[in-house]
Amino acid sequence: MGPGTLSIGEDVAAARPGGPPGPDRTSLSVRGGQALRAVLADRKLAVPLGVLALMVLFAIFMPIFWSHGPDKQDLINSLGSPSASHPLGTDQLGRDVLARVATGARISLVVATLVTLAGAIVGGLIGLFAGTLGGASDGVVMRVMDAILAFPPLILAMAVTVGLGIGLDTAAIGVSLVSVPWYARLLRSEALRIRSLPFIEAAHAMGATRGRIIARHVVPHMLPVLFIQMAAAFGYAVLALAGLSFVGLGAQVPTPEWGAMITEGLSYSLTGQWWISICPGVALLITVTAASMLSDRMRDLLDPRGQYARL
Amino acid sequence: MGRVIAMRVLGSVGAVFGATVLAFMIMRVLPGNPARLILGPLATSQAVTALNHHIGLDQPLYTQYWRYISDFFQGNWGYSYSDGASVRKLIGERAPATIELALFSFVITMLAAVGLALLSTYRHRPITDRIVRGASYLGFGTPPFFLALLLLIVFFSTLHILPGPEGRLGVQAAAPAAVTRMYTIDALLAGELGTFWEALKHLILPGLALGISSFSFLVRLLRANLLEVSREPFITVARGKGLRRWTAFRRHALPNAFLPTLTAGGLVLGEFLAGSVLIERVFNWPGVGSLVFDAIVKQDYAIVQTFILLSAVMFVLVNLAVDLLYAVIDPRVRIPTVATA
Repeated sequence: MGPGTLSIGEDVAAARPGGPPGPDRTSLSVRGGQALRAVLADRKLAVPLGVLALMVLFAIFMPIFWSHGPDKQDLINSLGSPSASHPLGTDQLGRDVLARVATGARISLVVATLVTLAGAIVGGLIGLFAGTLGGASDGVVMRVMDAILAFPPLILAMAVTVGLGIGLDTAAIGVSLVSVPWYARLLRSEALRIRSLPFIEAAHAMGATRGRIIARHVVPHMLPVLFIQMAAAFGYAVLALAGLSFVGLGAQVPTPEWGAMITEGLSYSLTGQWWISICPGVALLITVTAASMLSDRMRDLLDPRGQYARL
Repeated sequence: MGRVIAMRVLGSVGAVFGATVLAFMIMRVLPGNPARLILGPLATSQAVTALNHHIGLDQPLYTQYWRYISDFFQGNWGYSYSDGASVRKLIGERAPATIELALFSFVITMLAAVGLALLSTYRHRPITDRIVRGASYLGFGTPPFFLALLLLIVFFSTLHILPGPEGRLGVQAAAPAAVTRMYTIDALLAGELGTFWEALKHLILPGLALGISSFSFLVRLLRANLLEVSREPFITVARGKGLRRWTAFRRHALPNAFLPTLTAGGLVLGEFLAGSVLIERVFNWPGVGSLVFDAIVKQDYAIVQTFILLSAVMFVLVNLAVDLLYAVIDPRVRIPTVATA
């Protein structure tokens, strides 16, 4: 690097004593309001977001305010059809289905969020370092990712659960592991793409260190892609966890997890007591559909090669 | 071309190797003691040590891996802990039922996906397009086992038009003479139309449930491809030369839109493998999926392990086949590689 480049860097720093130009801080709240309005005006974005928000509120407040507990048995009123005191009916042990679906919402949303975060952090870091460091570590790490991708996703999650011992916690580990290579591959290629852009070269020429370039220039540009993938992976996590619980690998029977509840109600469904299985199933369907619609819409809006300017 | 194929095959061998190492680590290294698992919590520690020695668990890891992998590829898949039958025999007995269901499901999934993708793109009617897109979202969000249940409630317990969860045939019907052991095909071969119809009716609901996630994926992919291809200049040229809309679509747009769906082959197989475990139990379908489901419940891990490893190998092979087939069908993939080779 010649002295000329250095002096340019110093000039720029001198001209802006407050450091690099950031967003205008005074207008942040205004911009927040604008962003909120833009989200609400976009029906394809507002509807799935609203549905997910309602589901979160339902999960938080329903178990607090609802008088029936999810595990409270009432054998005299077992298999009761939906009524005023039990809007979604009762199951074979007389437990209130509404209370169980609400508690199930807590379990599904919390565990799926943890799974999504774990996958995004581990996979994202792997992708970031494979993409920015390159070389042998890139090759080794990506071969490991290929080995994970050699399994059909749900089957690998089943394998992990069987290997580590059955339970909701191991099922969550399994689903997280399955999602790691999705992030790793995606963010690696993003890192490679961003690394070759001119502004990275410019930052490098101005004397920015590798760490600074990664933290200030590469990572922020990866975030949109990461968020899109996280929204899609969240829906998948809800679905996969329910699937594992349904086959008996995830949450075990007394736990009001949606998949496990569907299994429990299975034998009653064809004899007329449909609500035991259908209610958790509908909650599952709503959550997963909303998450997949959200990730699709985010892809339309945030994809740099798409219509980013519209937001 | 030959070099590309060789590289791709090598890559797949690597993937299979990686997958088996991963499966070995998950199944053999991580968990508690498999011998303890087989013998149960009440077994003496001498018995556990003896069994450990007998199955070679006191050997070094690479020896264990070698045995694990050579046994698997030689077809020595061990014995079911719960009933002592050979795992290979159990899976072999159950496979035709699963294959028949998967093939049937694949056919209706493909037909539905192509049909609906055409419907939503052929004439630009926003309403049909919206319905098709909505259906694909819903299909994506519906867990297959839940759809299975819904279908049973609607078509069996409410409308009584399709058979319930009684397996491949009704109680009174006898299986046709075994040739392929796929009942629909065997019934046709034996000329028993009644049995054929009975077997077909039993396939419909599980077939729909098994295909739902692949359907929603395929219809989206096909729709996007069709929209893209129909805007290509060669379609305008074909129409300009006087081809009717449908002919231009059928001869020029559809084949081009169809090609990228081939790459979804691996994904569809993965859905079917996992889906069979999820939905066969709901329909009491006597296939590999319900065998695995029961094995999970009984903690009969020899069966589960074999199924997992078999799935991985099939998954890699199908992805390899898809890649190679793609190169054969689409000259655009092949020609640049010839130029660089």
